[in-house]
Amino acid sequence: MTPPRVLTALPTLFRIGAAEMTAYRAEVLIWILTSTMPLVMLAIWDAVAADGPVGGLSQADLARYFTVTLVVRQLTSCWVVWELNQAIRTGSLSPQLLRPLSPLWFHAVRHWVALPLRIAVLLPVVALLVVWRPEMALPADPLHLAVAALASLLAWLVVFAFQVAFGALAFWSGQSLGLFNLWFGLWTIFGGYLMPLSVMPEAVQAVATYLPFRSMLSVPVEIAAGLLPPAAWPGALALQGAWVLGAGVIARLAWTRGLARYGAFGA
Amino acid sequence: MIRVSNLRKIYRVPQRAPGLGGAFRSLFSREVREVRAVDGVSFEIAPGERVGFLGPNGAGKTTTLKMLAGLLVPTAGELSVLGHVPARRDVKLLERITLVMGQKQQLLWDLPPRDTFELNRALYQIPDAEFRETVEELTRLLELAPLLGRPTRNLSLGERMKCELAAALLHRPAVLFLDEPTIGLDVVMQLQVRQFIAAWNARFQSTVLLTSHYMDDVQALCPRVIVIARGTLRYDGSLKGLVERHQPLRRVRLRPVSGFSGALPAPFRAPVGAGPGRRGVPGESDEESLEADHVADVPPGDVGALLHAALTLCPGADVRIEEPPLEEVFARLFRAEAGA
Repeated sequence: MTPPRVLTALPTLFRIGAAEMTAYRAEVLIWILTSTMPLVMLAIWDAVAADGPVGGLSQADLARYFTVTLVVRQLTSCWVVWELNQAIRTGSLSPQLLRPLSPLWFHAVRHWVALPLRIAVLLPVVALLVVWRPEMALPADPLHLAVAALASLLAWLVVFAFQVAFGALAFWSGQSLGLFNLWFGLWTIFGGYLMPLSVMPEAVQAVATYLPFRSMLSVPVEIAAGLLPPAAWPGALALQGAWVLGAGVIARLAWTRGLARYGAFGA
Repeated sequence: MIRVSNLRKIYRVPQRAPGLGGAFRSLFSREVREVRAVDGVSFEIAPGERVGFLGPNGAGKTTTLKMLAGLLVPTAGELSVLGHVPARRDVKLLERITLVMGQKQQLLWDLPPRDTFELNRALYQIPDAEFRETVEELTRLLELAPLLGRPTRNLSLGERMKCELAAALLHRPAVLFLDEPTIGLDVVMQLQVRQFIAAWNARFQSTVLLTSHYMDDVQALCPRVIVIARGTLRYDGSLKGLVERHQPLRRVRLRPVSGFSGALPAPFRAPVGAGPGRRGVPGESDEESLEADHVADVPPGDVGALLHAALTLCPGADVRIEEPPLEEVFARLFRAEAGA
């Protein structure tokens, strides 16, 4: 993982990643369209808030929250856990490991090259939502957007690192995706995917604040949706930074120890 | 160059009884069986050598190659390739070796091989001029020109294998680990790949360690062979020496003249075909004609006496003396191993 090699290889990795994405465009598009849960949740919570604010959030607040959730989810979700699981169990990781650059770089680049397509698919959906609830007032201040983008990047790093760690569990067990599904379920609740954390009981909120799930989605959503005052941004970003480090250490341990157990099956 | 000392690899394989009951029991008590895939193997290979690595299925060949390439961590023993410990997967080692697996591919499935070449150029940091020169040379030697722009998924097995070889050699590795590089290829393609490996070795003096079930590969490419069975070393030396040791007999074929109906002295075996007089039957292939031969396997020193006796009984017969086929030598060797 020598940085110079990564830097010189990056343009080619991007070009190949983009070519691959073009080859799989239909699959990528379908994958993007399956992440529409925030729209479903918006419909439900909008009905709940019809008679008055829920947990201090009006219909406009909820529309803004779930619109931003839809966007942040698209920017931060990745599929490296499934790819690693498959590569480890079938042995197709072997040719990747023979190259003088960690295959994890290629997985990271695959996420980045898909971003323009993801954003292109999102734009019309967001435009429709704005037409439906013009009073939601999405953020437009450049500084506000920049901080939200930084928080989204940190969120993606935590998501990616945990997915690498869960993917690497396939070095030990054929059932590791089951564990990841459990983790994903917890994320939908404590990451703010199904509901804003602020509508949860205070005791649950207190715990959820320090779980990794909030740093994986809710923090950038809270910042972008204006639920977190600017004074609280540095603290939230620092919390995310801590989880980037923590998840990074866990991923590295799982990956390097897993490699020592690798069976290189299938050939 | 390559040093292997007392190398061991023990797999712990979970055992499970079949059916629902077995699945349920495995939740509580997991039985694990130890498989000694490689059990104390030692050898050394000098720079530029071409060595055949042979053994029956499950002998531990591929496991050894994977340990040499740094994919598997040995359970015990010492390994050194170009002065590096492979399991550490140092970049300095990875950019000087390659492992071609006949049954695993590095080519990007939905993109043309040219894109994989480009990816490897970037990952191995190959200078532009050297990259162009190597691609041109590989394209010429392996006749790749019509293949490079087609998606890998649209190539035939043989075409894919040639592109795999090219992708694996772009960085001009000093050591080539080839695991059944001709598996599944037709004879024409096998010959082409074989000739290519020989030419590449001559051009770059790269070290080649090759496993193959095709004896023609071994005969054409490997002056030295290492044989392992059940994870242990059984032979390390010249191919000729192996043949002498395990099949020291010569095969004498005798085809009597038409009308001969007598018996030949032992150890001649009677023909497996319809008997004497079939020679030259119109429409019969050479192989079918061979079934009319009397055959004897004897030590080289006994050939003269046997022929004298046989030709006295059967004057004017056609006689052929053959070295035993390599497949037979190995079949005999491996059968002996299985019974050991």
